[in-house]
Amino acid sequence: MNSDLTEPPHSEKANCLVLACGNTLRGDDGVGLRLADWAAERFRDDGHVRVVARQQWTPDLAADVATADSVLFVDSSVDSVPGRVSLVAVPSNRGSGEARSHHLEAHELLDLTRTLYGSMSVHAMLLTVGAASTELGESFSDPVEAAIPRARGVLEKAVLRFLSS
Amino acid sequence: MSQTITIDPVTRLEGHGKITIQLNGQGEVEDAHFHVTQVRGFERFSEGRPFYEMPSLMARICGICPVSHLIASAKACEAIMSVRIPHTAAQLRRMMNLAQMVQSHALSFFYLASPDLLLGMDADPKVRNVLGLAAAKPELGRAGIALRRFGQSIIELLGEKRVHPGWVVPGGVTEPLSTEKRDKILAMIPEAYGNITLALGAYKKIAGTFKEEIEVFANFPSNYMSLINEDESIEFTDGALRLIDPKGNTIEDGITATRYSEVIGEAVEPYSYTKFAYYKPLGYPEGSYRVGPLARLNIVKHMSTPKAEKELAEFKQLASGLVESSFHYHRARLVEMLYGVERIEEILADSRILDKHVRATAGVNRLEGAGQAEAPRGVLHHHYKVDENGKMTWANLVIATGQNNMAMNLGVLQAAKHYVKKGKFTEGILNRVEAVVRTFDPCLSCSTHAFGQMPLAITLVSVEGEVLDKVVRG
Repeated sequence: MNSDLTEPPHSEKANCLVLACGNTLRGDDGVGLRLADWAAERFRDDGHVRVVARQQWTPDLAADVATADSVLFVDSSVDSVPGRVSLVAVPSNRGSGEARSHHLEAHELLDLTRTLYGSMSVHAMLLTVGAASTELGESFSDPVEAAIPRARGVLEKAVLRFLSS
Repeated sequence: MSQTITIDPVTRLEGHGKITIQLNGQGEVEDAHFHVTQVRGFERFSEGRPFYEMPSLMARICGICPVSHLIASAKACEAIMSVRIPHTAAQLRRMMNLAQMVQSHALSFFYLASPDLLLGMDADPKVRNVLGLAAAKPELGRAGIALRRFGQSIIELLGEKRVHPGWVVPGGVTEPLSTEKRDKILAMIPEAYGNITLALGAYKKIAGTFKEEIEVFANFPSNYMSLINEDESIEFTDGALRLIDPKGNTIEDGITATRYSEVIGEAVEPYSYTKFAYYKPLGYPEGSYRVGPLARLNIVKHMSTPKAEKELAEFKQLASGLVESSFHYHRARLVEMLYGVERIEEILADSRILDKHVRATAGVNRLEGAGQAEAPRGVLHHHYKVDENGKMTWANLVIATGQNNMAMNLGVLQAAKHYVKKGKFTEGILNRVEAVVRTFDPCLSCSTHAFGQMPLAITLVSVEGEVLDKVVRG
């Protein structure tokens, strides 16, 4: 999936940008995109929320992040307990130490945005769902399937908090 | 005692590759190879599918240049249908292919090559990347992002998706262009000009500091192949093939898609999943040739648009004959991006660009068809055979990276021989060897499409050079 779920294809001002990534063909890796679909529907009539879903977070997205007051990154996590829903602040200026060009981590994209566009005011959180399996397949593992309602609730609260801040 | 240096993986490429450098007992470079280590299976698994599915199937070969695959594939299907697509559809396809070229070249130049060019080949690898580039040259970082988005936005406006749009179909395109979308694209053009001008200026300033790299980065005489118009101007979507020799003499001209197999053969080597294309009359490997931006600018006589025409004239001054160093692929990409923006602006001024008739329809009228189109990294050939019901029975794809394969390998060897002395090397030297491959901007995902067809040899060699074991498949 590479699509802008709620807006035309140009950067436009958004109070909150929901930026999801994943691959729907790799089992639990697609959970971020499932949540993005839900978010697009949930906030469809709210012009302050923009939902963008990608297979990877690429450097180009810095221009989108720069136009938002706040960003909620949504992804799966292979480092977390399967099914665990986590919401953490995105650390900045960690320095990746790696030569990336095709995809970035949330903190790298945030750093790139700040470097290029000086968008120091961006508030950013990372919502992850622990993945059990990223083998080829279009279905989620039981722990991830069970975690989706909880993840939706966390996503909704986070967006509403961003909008009210 | 012999020694092998392995660079694995080669970074900042589209796909996964590996380089091995074989040293002799004196520590001098004896041989070097660029290996493509991934496998795909597109030719095989397309068999049995309805031919009209081919464009959208073939687009999945690549996430960077799917539009060129869409177009080459659709043209092969149109040969099977025996239809000629409407003028407006041809123009819209041309615009999308140019938009893709701009975004792909922007990725290659700004994200993949610029860390070497602007931070230096010997810069700390921890900062020699897109983040380091952004910190050192933020204005170029923003220009790169903007040009990527320019191309991607046009693709999305036309085809609804920025990657793998299903809009190009056999017979034309699925939807005409609306006035609103035309105006949105026109509004993006001034900024695109500004960003390319900025990049060209920056590149021209620093290019002189890479004299040594220019000298040894695949800098040798070769043949070149690209599409070209009848008026000898550059062409990405239609036209016919021209092949020139190392002196610039035309040795083949007007080669249409159906005749590609008369001039192009494909060889295999045991160390790579990518085939090695060659010019048949000269045989392999003597008939190797280069494709892509360097080939296109060496072959064409003019660009047909004023700003790019001026840049082409400057480009051709880089050498007394053909521009041979692959280092100059970088500058050629910038010239082509400028052309792309100019040409898109021209296409949008076409009085028929908003016409609603954008698709021709037909069934199977021939059992065989071929199509060709320029991808950012070189010309693509798609060749299909079908049964009377339109089911695919056979496919052959000749991809840009396969056509540059021999030149890439020779380029790696040339650079390795120059830089690696007495078995001594630094990270910066190995980066230069990698950077030779990057100049070609190979798409390894595109090039490895023949799963089950390629031989694979695994050789275990002792430090004395003795072959201890060997397994060969295929």
